[in-house]
Amino acid sequence: MRFTIPRLCRGIALTWAVLAGLSCGLQPAAAAEAAVPQDAVQMTIDFLGKDDQAFRAIGLDRVRYGLKGEAVTVQLAGLLSKLAPARQVELTAALADRGDRAAVPAVLALLLASKEPAVRAAAISGLGALGSSAEIAVLKASLTAADPEKAAARRALTVLRGNDVTALITEAAKFGDSGLRPTFIDILADRRAITALPDLLAAAVDGDPAVRTSAMRALAKFGGPEQVSGMVQGVLKAAAGGERDEAERALVTVCTQNPGKDKAAEALLTQFKAADETAQETLLTVLARVGGTGAIAIIDGLIADTNVAKRKLGLTALTKWPDATVSQRLLDLLRTSQDQAERDQMLGTLIRIAPLPDNKLNDKQKLELLEKTMSLCKRDEDRRRVLERANAIRTIETLRFVVPYLDDPNLAEPACLSVVELAHHRNIRDANKDEFTKALDKVLGTTKNEELIDRAERYKQGQTWERKKPAKS
Amino acid sequence: MAYDPASLDKPFDVLRAFDWGGDASAFQPIDAAVVAAHADPAARADLEKRLAALLGKGTSRAAKEYVCRKLSLIGTAASVPSLAALLPEKDHSHMARFALERINVPEAAEALRKALGTVHGDLTIGMISSLAGRGDAASVPAIAAFLSGESKTAVAAADALGSLHTPEACQALAAAGGVTDKAAAAAIADARLACAESLLRQGKRAEAKAIYTSLADAAAAGTTPTAKATRLAAARGILACLDTSTTS
Repeated sequence: MRFTIPRLCRGIALTWAVLAGLSCGLQPAAAAEAAVPQDAVQMTIDFLGKDDQAFRAIGLDRVRYGLKGEAVTVQLAGLLSKLAPARQVELTAALADRGDRAAVPAVLALLLASKEPAVRAAAISGLGALGSSAEIAVLKASLTAADPEKAAARRALTVLRGNDVTALITEAAKFGDSGLRPTFIDILADRRAITALPDLLAAAVDGDPAVRTSAMRALAKFGGPEQVSGMVQGVLKAAAGGERDEAERALVTVCTQNPGKDKAAEALLTQFKAADETAQETLLTVLARVGGTGAIAIIDGLIADTNVAKRKLGLTALTKWPDATVSQRLLDLLRTSQDQAERDQMLGTLIRIAPLPDNKLNDKQKLELLEKTMSLCKRDEDRRRVLERANAIRTIETLRFVVPYLDDPNLAEPACLSVVELAHHRNIRDANKDEFTKALDKVLGTTKNEELIDRAERYKQGQTWERKKPAKS
Repeated sequence: MAYDPASLDKPFDVLRAFDWGGDASAFQPIDAAVVAAHADPAARADLEKRLAALLGKGTSRAAKEYVCRKLSLIGTAASVPSLAALLPEKDHSHMARFALERINVPEAAEALRKALGTVHGDLTIGMISSLAGRGDAASVPAIAAFLSGESKTAVAAADALGSLHTPEACQALAAAGGVTDKAAAAAIADARLACAESLLRQGKRAEAKAIYTSLADAAAAGTTPTAKATRLAAARGILACLDTSTTS
C-alpha cells in the first residue's frame, strides 16, 4: 500500500508548522525547508503504511531518530489523523520519542478527535513527552478518565517538562478537585518536586485523610531533617490505625534511610522532648522504630518508672526496636519480670531481633542470642518460634543447634523446616555434605509434610528447588 | 632492569624440553624479559632470535605455542620465515597465524598471502581470516578468488571481504552475484551490506545506495527468511542514504 499525503493535508501540515514554530518561540519551519529530504520523507511515509510490521518498524525508526527538522515533524504528525487506530498509537509513540514539540498540535488534535482509549492514552503520553505547561489543563482533565487514559495522564504529568509545570501541579494539589488532590501529590512525589516540600508539609496536616496520607508518602520519598518537624505534626494529625501506621512509616523512613537520616533522627528526638505528654505517647513508637542512644535513654526511663502505664509504654516501645542492640535489656527483663504478658512481649521481641540482618551482631553472636532465648522459653509454642527463626542464621552451627530438636515430637516439625531451609543454601550444604545428609535423612523419617519431603530428597541429590511465588492478590 | 641474556639460559633450556603438564612458571623470566624488551631494541632482537630458534624440529607443540604467543608481542620481519614454515602444518598453523596476524610488518601479510595459495580446507579459511584480521587490502584479489569455491571457504571469503570493505572488496562481492551456494550467497549479501554501511559512514551515500538497491532488487522475489532480512536491511539502508538530514 502506498501512503501519500493529500494536498489538503500538506496545507494543514504547513499551517501547523508555522503555528508550532510560533508557539515554541522558534522561527517558522519554512526556513529549514531546503534541508528536508522529501524522497526520504515519502519513503518513510510509505513504510508507515505497510502491513508488514518489520517495514513499519523501519519507518518508525526513521521518525524517531532521523529526518531532522520541524517541518518534517509537522508533516509526519499530519499523518496521525489518516491512520488506523493501531498505527496512530505506533506513530504517536515514535513522535514522542522524536522529542520535537512541533508535533504537539497534531497529537492534541488526535486526543480530541479519537474515541479509542488506546489512542487517547498514546496521545496523552505523547503530550507528556512533548508538551509544556500549556498542556497541563488537558492532562488534568484526563486524570478523571478510566485507565489506560488515567494512568497515561498520571505518567504524562510526571514527565512533563517546563519551568512552571511543578508550580502548576502544586497549585492543583492545593486547590484542585478534592478527589484528585492526593493524585497530584503523588505526581509531585514522583517528580521529586523539592520546591513543593513546604506545600507537602501543609498537606500532611490537611483536613482530608487521603491528602494527608499522600503527603506523608511523598515526604517519605525525599524528605530530610528540615521536614521532620512538619512530619511529626502529620503523625499526630493522622487518625489512629492504618493512617497513623503509614504516617509513622514515612517518618521512620526519613529518619533511617533518606539522605541526612542522622540529623533527621536528632530532629525527631528534639521534637519528642518538646512535645506534651499525650503527643509523646503517640510519637514513642516512631522514636523506638528509629532507635539511637537518645531514644533508648527515654525508653529505659519509662520502663524504670513506678507508674504502671508508663512502664507499659516503655516496654511496648522496646518491642519496636530496629536491631539487636537491646538484646541484653530484653534478656534481663525476661529473667526478672513476673508478668506473663511482659515476658511474652520480651520473648517475642528477642525471637524477632536475634537473627536480623542488621550488621549489629555476627552470625555466632546471633546464634548465641537465639540459644539463650531458647533456654528462657517455658512453652513449646515459643520454642517452635525460635526454631522457625533459626534458619535465618545460615551457618553449620545453626544446623547443629536445630538437629537435636528433630527428636522432640512437639518441636520436630519446625526443626524439620529449619533443617530443610538451611539445606536450601548450597554453599553451606555442599561444604558440610555428610552432616546435611544425616540431618535430611532424619527429616525424611520424621516429617509428614510433602513439600519438606520433596525438598529434602532434592537437596540430598544435589538438586535445586524453586520456591513458589506467592499468588498475586 | 637491564637485559641479561645469561639469566635466560636456564628458562630457555626448560622451554626447549617443555610439554603440556610441565611447570610453566619456569618461563616467568622470559615473560618479564619480553615485557622489558619493548624499550630495548637490542634485547628485543636477541629474544626474538632465541624464541624463533625454538620453532624448528625438536620442540613440542606446547613449547611452539608459547613461542608464538611471545613472538606475537615482539616479533618482527626476522621471525616471519620461521613462523611461515609452520603455516602448512595442521597442528601449528593456527598459532603461527596468531603471531603473524599481530606482527605489524608487510612480510607477515605476504607470508599469509603466499600460504593462501598452497594450503587447503580449514587451513585456507584460517589464512583468509587472518588476512582480514590484519585488514590487508592487498589480499582482496586472492581472497575473492575463493568466493566461487567450496561453501565453507566461500563464506569465509565473503566475511573477510565484508570486513575489509575496501572499494575493491565491494566490487569483488558485487561481481559474485552468480554464486548459487545458499550459505555463500547469504554471506555475500551480508558482506555487501557491511560494504554499504561502511560507505554510508564515509558519507558516500550514492555508492552505498547503489549497493542497497542492488541487494533489494536481488532479494525482491525471494520468499526465504534470509531474503526478507536482506530486503529489510536494504530498505533501511536506502532510507538512511536518502535521509541527508541525519549523520549516519
